[in-house]
Amino acid sequence: MRTLDWAVLVGSLVSIVLYGLYKGRGSSTVASYLLANKTMPWWAMGLSIMATQTSAITFIGTTGQAYVDGMRFVQFYFGLPLAMIVVSAVSVPFFHRAGVYTAYEFLEKRFDSKTRTLTSIVFLIQRGLSVGVSLSAPAVVMSVLLGWSDRKTILIMGGLVIIYTVFGGIKAVTWTDVQQMTIMFLGLATALTMAIVSLPKGVSFRDALYLAGASGKLNAVDLSFDWNTRYNLWSGLIGGMFLALSYFGCDQSQVQRYLTGKSIRHSRISLMFNAVVKVPMQFFILLTGALVFVFFLFEQPPMLFNRAERERVESTDEYRAAEQRYEQTFAERRRAAAALIASRDAAARRQYLSSLKDLETARAAGIDVVRRVTGTEYNDTNYIFLTFVTRYLPEGLVGVVMAAVFAAAMGSIAGELNSLATASVMDIYRRHIKRQGGDAHYLVVSRVATGFWGLYAMIFAIFVTRLGSLIEAVNLVGSLFYGSVLGVFVLAFGVKRANGNGAVSGLLAGLATVAWLSRNTGISFLWYNVAACVVVVVVGILVSGLRPASGGPGTVEVK
Amino acid sequence: MDEPPHISLRDEEEPPPVLGTWRRLYAAIALYLLLLIVLFYLFTVTFNGAR
Repeated sequence: MRTLDWAVLVGSLVSIVLYGLYKGRGSSTVASYLLANKTMPWWAMGLSIMATQTSAITFIGTTGQAYVDGMRFVQFYFGLPLAMIVVSAVSVPFFHRAGVYTAYEFLEKRFDSKTRTLTSIVFLIQRGLSVGVSLSAPAVVMSVLLGWSDRKTILIMGGLVIIYTVFGGIKAVTWTDVQQMTIMFLGLATALTMAIVSLPKGVSFRDALYLAGASGKLNAVDLSFDWNTRYNLWSGLIGGMFLALSYFGCDQSQVQRYLTGKSIRHSRISLMFNAVVKVPMQFFILLTGALVFVFFLFEQPPMLFNRAERERVESTDEYRAAEQRYEQTFAERRRAAAALIASRDAAARRQYLSSLKDLETARAAGIDVVRRVTGTEYNDTNYIFLTFVTRYLPEGLVGVVMAAVFAAAMGSIAGELNSLATASVMDIYRRHIKRQGGDAHYLVVSRVATGFWGLYAMIFAIFVTRLGSLIEAVNLVGSLFYGSVLGVFVLAFGVKRANGNGAVSGLLAGLATVAWLSRNTGISFLWYNVAACVVVVVVGILVSGLRPASGGPGTVEVK
Repeated sequence: MDEPPHISLRDEEEPPPVLGTWRRLYAAIALYLLLLIVLFYLFTVTFNGAR
């Protein structure tokens, strides 16, 4: 990073904090602090929903994934527009009509207190795990690239978010999300444009697509059906829809965004905005990764993208030998790629595919050295895109992309802190600890809770960075709860005779089902949500019939 | 403590900005998704594994 890059990055970060403080002023009641007094326009909510969902790892990991695995990850998002339709048509009016601060508060009105408390605790565990990862995962990558320590990066990112989130509540979070999404769109457009214009002389955009396709990187749609394939059309449409339903319809970090809407109409339009924009946006992020792959066909990339790990092993003889072999195979692959776009015949294609395989083998030897020397697994997918950015983009534009990565991290973390504070204050503190406090009291407690979750996130993130490859496991544990909570909301919205006993029994059965599936089968995680939701609904209906709740029906009528 | 601000139930009847009814807008979004999938599929068969 050069002077102008630092100026762009620091300027962006300072402007985010100042803008958050400015827009968050006047949050002097709980309703304004947690729900912005329901005054938000659709476009601000729509961008805030998108910013909360788009973490820094979405930004840098997705491009890396296209580089390694191709564009098939885009199918993961195919269910999202369908889920948005269902959430808009069903959940939004229910939540607004019930006049609630949290999605789980609605479940008390519909069922009983224990259902609200249990689902809220599930959310707090799930989101509490993920907020640490949201902070630590990009911090680890940025630390390597900026030359900072993990701890310093975590404290800067987390500290900046805490300042405006504690002070300004959801208004600050939403308006900074708007600003952050603008920076992210700018960063994305910059990266995509630079990936195209950086192609070597004589390689057109169409040639680049041809080479990416010949390398199997443009596999955007896979029509085959296989339970064990992580991403295909069917897992994306069905499993992805259930995951998106759980996230956008039941997760407080998203529900709270559209509860701030000035009307049901505005909340609905914000969701439709996401339904239209999200899939193409992911497509272009992945396309950027595929084009970076083509760029590195002609410009030699480092054998290992993670500089910190590379420096640990590069003085060993084994590594030097592996790198020498890597350089030779890279030169062969570059020649083969140039020959392929010149002739496009079958022989050139066979030669190119063979050279691709040789280079992968050479790189695998380098990775093997790291594994043996460090005794840990090695995965540098998240470092690929930022290596391209920091090494090959001109001064100033590096700062724009880095600012976009910071903005993505801050947007998702701010939304998580805000929703964690809301659920812990409204569903736990106000419901079970102090029921008769005044508005000023709950406002102070909400600010303290936001600060608490911020400090927790930073401490947890510092701890998580020491777990190395276990970060993914922590993230996975968090994602196992989604389908079961969705099942409870399906019972609430769609099954008139369901009661609290059925909902809680179903939730526990759903969680047990996912735990069993994840330990004993190899099916794609996207199907867990479908299975868990079905189990919750079936068990919920059966138990509701066997053991009617003693407290009578909830106060929210199910139409 | 203040309850969340009230939203009139009449808001539910407010039409979307385009196409007149929510049902039509939802159908348009579903068709849009179908179109995207078809375009991405054509993109895949055109370029991926290109010969």
